[in-house]
Amino acid sequence: MAKMKFLCDAERCIECNGCVTACKNENEVPWGVNRRRVITLGDGEVGEKSISVACMHCTDAPCSAVCPVDCFYTTDDGIVLHDKDLCIGCGYCFYACPFGAPQYPSEQAFGVRGKMDKCTFCAGGPVDDNSVAEYDKYGANRVSQGKLPLCAEMCSTKALLAGDGDMVADIYRERILKRGDRPQTWGWEKAYGSTV
Amino acid sequence: MNASIRKLLVWTGAILLTATLTGCYESPTVTLFEPGVYKGADDPLLANTDNGSLNERFAGQMDR
Repeated sequence: MAKMKFLCDAERCIECNGCVTACKNENEVPWGVNRRRVITLGDGEVGEKSISVACMHCTDAPCSAVCPVDCFYTTDDGIVLHDKDLCIGCGYCFYACPFGAPQYPSEQAFGVRGKMDKCTFCAGGPVDDNSVAEYDKYGANRVSQGKLPLCAEMCSTKALLAGDGDMVADIYRERILKRGDRPQTWGWEKAYGSTV
Repeated sequence: MNASIRKLLVWTGAILLTATLTGCYESPTVTLFEPGVYKGADDPLLANTDNGSLNERFAGQMDR
């Protein structure tokens, strides 16, 4: 069974924000919510590095551990999803997540939060696959169609890799060997444990 | 005449009452929290990944 993972190759990311746009377009993400975003370290300085960040679908997801209503579940592929009907928008998962993945649409005045929204690895949610209801609540379900997340598919420099963790690691390892570089699997240790 | 006006008023009142109370119903079935137990809806995707056909399709696409 594949274990789905994201990996962003900082050496290749050119901060084009294509992944952000692809995600927003594919999932019709509401205004003010960004499931994925590009962060630049040392912006404007020589040797600046950019990384594309979203939910990393952690092995032992801290969001799931702190959720007071247990609205999270993990698929056999290791994709962390949640049920918006159970979510109460408390914000605990936002504080627990090391990647700042959970987002909350502002639904009413005075900053009242709506149900939490985050990257689903383009795997929808607990509604009939590819139904209108699923699309409205969770966005596209590309995984059920045998496709990978659009952010990674659209990445022009193939900096953002998505798919089975072993294969993603193999591709990255090959790149490192060719470049003669040190591996910088940003966020992997935090998301998938120190043994990865 | 009076009777017909009264009838009209009663009907109007009934319709208004129905309209204003619509949506006030609250489902008596609540989800009781149990630590560590997911009680949300089932995801049909889980069944699809179990049957293997989806994994077969993924096999050629994992190289990206």
